[in-house]
Amino acid sequence: MTENTRNRLTAIAVALPAFMSAKAFAAGASEPGLPQLDIATWPSQLFWLVVLFGAGYLVMAKIVTPRIGAVLEERRQTVDGDLEKARAASADAAKIRADYESDLEKARIEAAEFAKQAAMEATKKAEAADAKIAKKLADKVGAAEAKLAEAKTSAMANLNDVAAEAAMAAVASLAGIKTSSAQASKTASSIATKLAKQETN
Amino acid sequence: MSNSEGMHSPVEQFEIKSLVELSLGGYDVSFTNSSLFMLLAIGVSAIFLISAMRRADMVPGRMQGMAEMMYEFVAEMVRSNVGSEGRPYFPFIFTLFVFLLFGNMLGLIPYSYTFTSQIIVTFAMAAFVFVGVTIIALFKHGLHFFSFFVPAGAPKVLIPFLIVIEVISYFVRPVSLSVRLFANMLAGHTMLKVFAGLAVMISGAGGLAMAGSLLPFVALIGLTGLEVLVAALQAYVFTILTCMYLNDALHLH
Repeated sequence: MTENTRNRLTAIAVALPAFMSAKAFAAGASEPGLPQLDIATWPSQLFWLVVLFGAGYLVMAKIVTPRIGAVLEERRQTVDGDLEKARAASADAAKIRADYESDLEKARIEAAEFAKQAAMEATKKAEAADAKIAKKLADKVGAAEAKLAEAKTSAMANLNDVAAEAAMAAVASLAGIKTSSAQASKTASSIATKLAKQETN
Repeated sequence: MSNSEGMHSPVEQFEIKSLVELSLGGYDVSFTNSSLFMLLAIGVSAIFLISAMRRADMVPGRMQGMAEMMYEFVAEMVRSNVGSEGRPYFPFIFTLFVFLLFGNMLGLIPYSYTFTSQIIVTFAMAAFVFVGVTIIALFKHGLHFFSFFVPAGAPKVLIPFLIVIEVISYFVRPVSLSVRLFANMLAGHTMLKVFAGLAVMISGAGGLAMAGSLLPFVALIGLTGLEVLVAALQAYVFTILTCMYLNDALHLH
């Protein structure tokens, strides 16, 4: 460290406290210390403070705050409105869903009812049709049986006649006995009855 | 700024310099550096707030968001400290906050001027608030306003004593309000200047001592950050105290 530098540093060390106290508050003999306490500057500062703060107040009160306030209010209303709309839409959706579900339930019950009824009707119809067909068949069977019995009876009657004639002819040719046809048929039928009895047994 | 043997005083920055000589009714009302920065504080804040709200979007951008944040910050301050009755005074409180905030902040820019470091300016504002608040209280409560100085539920013997204290504390309000802001600005800016001066002085020593100038320089950086905080904080403190005084005026105790 040179002599010169050391001298300067010493000067700084000595000057520092003075710099921070005396010099700070009494800068030069001619000046009265803090510039703030120079009352000669006060009228000008007060004047411009009133003028500029007043102007600033007018700008803020007439232009700035109403504008920002309006934007914030509008946003608040929009957000509230949107929320209200969303709430209403949500309620609507819930209502629609409930309606849909109740409709679906009703439809399900109706469908089940309808299906049951249809099944019942179909069963009834089928039963009726069955009964009809059965009756028809029974009728047909009955008629056929009656016809058959009739045919059988007539066939039997014919058979008796034929048997009686044959027997008469046989009797006449074999024994030379002339029998009346009435007699013959009576005998034949009795035989036939006997045979039939045997058959059934 | 010269840094020869005749070092600048750290309070030289507070000197009022006339820019345009004016006179009104025998008084010197020159437009000074202090006036210029008052104008800038109002001008810059007004231009910022108006241009930020130009588009008035439903979804705010960065600038609009900042403007709205300032508005809501002050609105919330008034709402929570004064209540709904404070609404008519909101534009004034907002102007006060913006004026002080921009004044303090602009004052931190090198070579600028901090008008809030002028006791006459802060005192005028504090006195205006004090007188205004007192008038509001008298208008609203009439003579009942003076019950403000009688603490409720105090023992009868103590009442005269307490009234004296209450009256003194009431009249000290404009002083404390103005001195708080003024002293903070004065001290902060003086300190910045001292450290800056130190850095310049030590570096002037040359040689190894140059490295030593780093110390006050680093401190200066930290202090500048601190001063930004103080600038915002003091604007807030002045404004919130105004709100509290207004609340006292409107609702007494």
